[in-house]
Amino acid sequence: MRQFPFWLAFAAGAAAAPIASAHHSFAAVFDGEQFVTMTGKVVDVDWVNPHFHFSLDVPGSDGAVTRWRFEGYPPNMLVRQGWRRDVTLMPGATVTVEGWLARSEPNLGAVRWVTFADGHKLAGGPPAGTGGR
Amino acid sequence: MAVRHLAVVVILLGAAAAPLAAQPATAAAVPRAANGKPDLTGIWIATGALLLMEGEQAIAAARASDTAAGRPPGNSGEPPPFKPEAEAQRQYFLGRRGVDDPMGRCLLTGVPRINFRPLPFEIVQLPERVLMLYEIHHAFRIIPTDGRPHPEDAEPSYLGESVAHWDGDTLVVDVRFFNDKTWLTGVGTIHTEDLRVTERYTRDSFETIRYEATMEDPNVLTRPWTIRETFRLRPNERLREYECIEDNEDLLRLERVLGDSASEKAP
Repeated sequence: MRQFPFWLAFAAGAAAAPIASAHHSFAAVFDGEQFVTMTGKVVDVDWVNPHFHFSLDVPGSDGAVTRWRFEGYPPNMLVRQGWRRDVTLMPGATVTVEGWLARSEPNLGAVRWVTFADGHKLAGGPPAGTGGR
Repeated sequence: MAVRHLAVVVILLGAAAAPLAAQPATAAAVPRAANGKPDLTGIWIATGALLLMEGEQAIAAARASDTAAGRPPGNSGEPPPFKPEAEAQRQYFLGRRGVDDPMGRCLLTGVPRINFRPLPFEIVQLPERVLMLYEIHHAFRIIPTDGRPHPEDAEPSYLGESVAHWDGDTLVVDVRFFNDKTWLTGVGTIHTEDLRVTERYTRDSFETIRYEATMEDPNVLTRPWTIRETFRLRPNERLREYECIEDNEDLLRLERVLGDSASEKAP
């Protein structure tokens, strides 16, 4: 229930008309205007098609922890971005995630970038509204 | 004097070589097959799809390179020349944000849409056929180039039936016998079983193929619709697995996100 299809983020294809429709497809679930950054501890990682996803426990200013769920590239694309399963992103690690909020589903996001404890950064998902204007 | 002349020659040679060094890939010759035709063999990806792989800068650089080389730009988003009824349906599907997309059910994408997917595809050119292997959908096309016609027993299918011939240095693929279950390119670009697609593949440099697809379907289009794109060689790529259907529960989510509009009927 939590996956957003990899194919849909660029349903129209950047080269193929109509370009705007790819943006609509992304916008069906995510809000390309709400780009957020949050730091937390990785809870679990699912290396699965059509999207990998992971959970992140993020402490709030009041000390309460909120569990966020992020989804991004499928495994074939993660590997191309330099990821390795069971190596790159592991439960317990503290990472900073940049991405877009879901429009209506709470505590769900589309990951774009992940910055690791040692400072290196990898793309975890496609640009918002890929193929958009 | 001799030394001075030599120095001048070296400088001139250096100046002449500089532009070549800046564009080593385009300077390489187009590879040829044994029959003298360009060899399309290689792993390719549509320029527009670079956005997914490498981000905004990569696609901007690629488009600038195409402009400099005189290649036509990729389709700019021009709407299809649809008849009013077809356009009404397209608008309906757009209004539903693509939830009805056949790809959402992990079904095969048709031609030419499959060529614009953001995953690479491999062309293997053999003496009497061309194989097209797509990472997305694990799809393949086996395209005879030996002059045979379309098979007599062809049934409507997602990818249609392809046969090809060479027009000079351009591979021309005639695709017919489509079903009506795919979209031509973008969301809502419907068609019927009368669709006929003519693809033209021209390897105009070592690293690029100029691609053109002309779609004809008198049931939905007012005239033939041509779209263009540049495919780019991915020399360090290999095809990997992408199994769309593994965890494809997104349709339920999309229906929920759409809420009331999801129950509307198509015009």
